[in-house]
Amino acid sequence: MKTRRPPTKSRGGRVITWAPYAFAAAAAGYLLVFTAIPLLRGVQLGFTDTRLLNPVGGEGTGLHNYSKLLADSAFWSSVWTTLVYTAGTVAGSLFLGTGAALLVNRAFAGRTLARVLLTLPWAVPTVAAALLFRWIYNDQTGVANSATRALGIGAQGWLTDPSVGMIAVLGATIWKVTPLVMLVVLAALQSIPDELYESTRIDGADALSAFRAVAWPALLPTLRVVALLMTIWSFRRFEVIWLLTGGGPADATNTLVINVYRTAFSDSRLGMAAAIGVLGLVLSLAVTVVYFVAERRSERTELRAGGAA
Amino acid sequence: MIGNRRLSRTVRMVLAFATALAAAFPLYWMVNTALTPSDRLFRGDQDALPDLSRAGHLLGVLTSDTPFLRWMTNSAIVAIGTSALSLIIATMAAYALSRYRFHGRGVLGFALFATQMLPEALLVVPLYSLFATLGLLNQLHGLILVNTSFAMPVAVWILKAAIDGVPYEIEESARVDGAGPLTVLRIVVVPVVTPALAAAAVITFFDGWNEYLFATTFMQDADRWVASTGLASFIGEYSTPLDTVFSAAVLFTVPAVVFFVLVQRRIVSGLTAGSVKG
Repeated sequence: MKTRRPPTKSRGGRVITWAPYAFAAAAAGYLLVFTAIPLLRGVQLGFTDTRLLNPVGGEGTGLHNYSKLLADSAFWSSVWTTLVYTAGTVAGSLFLGTGAALLVNRAFAGRTLARVLLTLPWAVPTVAAALLFRWIYNDQTGVANSATRALGIGAQGWLTDPSVGMIAVLGATIWKVTPLVMLVVLAALQSIPDELYESTRIDGADALSAFRAVAWPALLPTLRVVALLMTIWSFRRFEVIWLLTGGGPADATNTLVINVYRTAFSDSRLGMAAAIGVLGLVLSLAVTVVYFVAERRSERTELRAGGAA
Repeated sequence: MIGNRRLSRTVRMVLAFATALAAAFPLYWMVNTALTPSDRLFRGDQDALPDLSRAGHLLGVLTSDTPFLRWMTNSAIVAIGTSALSLIIATMAAYALSRYRFHGRGVLGFALFATQMLPEALLVVPLYSLFATLGLLNQLHGLILVNTSFAMPVAVWILKAAIDGVPYEIEESARVDGAGPLTVLRIVVVPVVTPALAAAAVITFFDGWNEYLFATTFMQDADRWVASTGLASFIGEYSTPLDTVFSAAVLFTVPAVVFFVLVQRRIVSGLTAGSVKG
């Protein structure tokens, strides 16, 4: 929707420009003091050997932290863990969220109740969710193992066995974040006019091809935005992983953010931790840039396709 | 044909409820655990159905020897403070971004988006030293300030999308009457975007209510902790009975869930205004 903007210049040529600066000043100042300056300070820390016990006494070491990290296999396995965690979260939440949205899109008895139940996990505070999932995943008494025993898979060491640790953390994460995907997809579905569905129905199309022809193209832009947000949020997600496994078992869930925290507060190497954090941020930025480039390209293709049609 | 359609509707309904129950199960299990006596929990002897006669026990944690009530009060102060401060700053920024072209507009928009990428774990060290200098460590208002830096940008998006949808014409008559920009914003624009404000209020409230990393790093005295820190302190600690720990988890979760269900519709329209329009 286009709205008219107030003129920045009045007819007489008098410039009225103070208002936007005054309105934006608080937010800009806030970001400067509480985000930009700490960020720059963090980047600067990455070029030093600062330790936790003497946070002001670090010496500049140039690129030493970075060259050490790039040669360190533990760092690369942490990068890999981050990518696995992110891919798992994005794929799982998009698939389940879209599925759930399609299920509750059309009316049926009790739909509101189903919708509320489906969105509840999003409202649960993360710390409470982590505490809960530690209990669910408990080796001896957890209900997850009751379920796997009943299914004949047998008990798993969800939070103690490195081969399933990531699955356990992904399970808790996807449970928590999927409702947001569902809500956004649902809103996008509801904005598709019914007439579009009607016309495919008249053509005799079955539900699946109607979905492919009508809903899927309409959903794609939304899914792309949600995928981007889920990706950059997964790169920086800390609390669920930290409280469930602390990066374990045996580093199986040691994502970059967990790595930053452990390096800073367990190994007390603030400089090295900052360097890891900066590389993680670079990764996140790279994904965002790829996303916006791909977005622009597909917009152009869609425009051309639209023009040809 | 008609039978077919009715069948598919039934299938969809059954599937929807199966999924919904699966999603809600962990929450049910939280309540169930809180209502089972601790010694039975340790034996792994937890019934599928909770003992509702123990419902009064849920409040026991408030009078137990943990400062849980204090922690909940602190959480409420931090959450309300974060929400209020975020909304004031965000409303003005959103109005500027929506209605004006000005130098630095693009930079501000990008900076607001970029905050979503920043890992708290990277910022926690520099923020810690900044807060130490400013004397904000171990202070509830310090937590409000740091939470706002992550919550406010989201509020700006939501509100900007809402203000974008308000026709400029409704501001014009007020302007002709000689009202300044701040008056126009306060008297004309804000009342029209109340649903978006409600959505932003809830989301920023959640940010303050749930935040853990800064709370656990910045607050030293146990009686200044917020509930997220307090609850996490029960992890790996065995002196507090498990049913008491889960009662605390339930009490910490209930306000968030109730608040969320009450305003769900508004949150959805507020959120999607921001993300669907892109």
